[in-house]
Amino acid sequence: MLDAQRILKTATKVKLDDIKSGKVLSVHDKPNLKYAWDNGVAIGRYLAELKNGRIIGKRCNSCKRVLVPPRMFCELCWRPTDDWEFVQDTGTILTCVVSHVNWDASRVKKGQRYHTPAVIELDGAGKDQEAMLHIDEIEPYDIKIGMRVKAVWKEPEERIGAITDIKYFKVIG
Amino acid sequence: MALTERLQNTTEVGYWTGEIPLEYIYTYGRAGEKYYRTLRDKGTFLGTKCEACGITYVPPRIYCEKCFARLEDKYVEVGTTGVVHTFTVLYKNLDETKKDKPAMMAMIKLDNTEGGVVHYLGEIEPEKVEIGMPVKAVLKAKKDRTGSIKDIKYFKPL
Repeated sequence: MLDAQRILKTATKVKLDDIKSGKVLSVHDKPNLKYAWDNGVAIGRYLAELKNGRIIGKRCNSCKRVLVPPRMFCELCWRPTDDWEFVQDTGTILTCVVSHVNWDASRVKKGQRYHTPAVIELDGAGKDQEAMLHIDEIEPYDIKIGMRVKAVWKEPEERIGAITDIKYFKVIG
Repeated sequence: MALTERLQNTTEVGYWTGEIPLEYIYTYGRAGEKYYRTLRDKGTFLGTKCEACGITYVPPRIYCEKCFARLEDKYVEVGTTGVVHTFTVLYKNLDETKKDKPAMMAMIKLDNTEGGVVHYLGEIEPEKVEIGMPVKAVLKAKKDRTGSIKDIKYFKPL
């Protein structure tokens, strides 16, 4: 018999219960993965403006795009970007997904709304510049590509300068 | 063509904090399971011996890395004595705070074996530790052993 076949025959199938009861020895650990990420100039200003209830981008005068979120460097023209420019908080749905699973891969419970993240092209931003944001106030399966949407912001005093200062996008018109 | 816009004031520097939840259970595998069971139940280290090459591997490997012979039925108990192969003295904890008392970690090469065990040294001052120094494992009481590397308290000089 080949060695591989012999191994398969003798291989032990470990179950979680075997580990919990100590039948199979194991190490159990929870590493502490905390991080602090430097915002930099562009994202720093972006987050600060979100706190003010505005979305800011940065224009590249070479390719005429407005980069959202703003970047200090245009990856297409290979040059520093130029002017800061506010964009609208309205846009168009480019694509959307209805997710039946939560971020940790557990299933959405009965009665809970399915997650509907969408890629939204903001008005005033460049053609290929989009943001990944949630849609709400509509039945998940009624969302269609091309729908016009508008940001629903948190109250000014609740905003902390984070992308979650936009609660969600709602469908308009 | 430099980036002309920069933060001039250090108080303007923003940062974003987060935490990545991560949890794991790792089983020791076929040889590792036997190794830690022997440590827990018999209080001694286990290795595998390749007769052809004359090498005893500790921790046990199920294949000889020199001749690829299968070693799964070649387990041998190798005792708890060895020598300091290399060592380091620790003055700081994992979070960079200062330790009250320096700790010593060493790679212990068990007698007549290949490989080794990384663990603490105890019952000795840091300045007295030497490479090649004979040591012996000090284990927890049998009832406190769980089948893990922590069943060893430290290695002490012979």
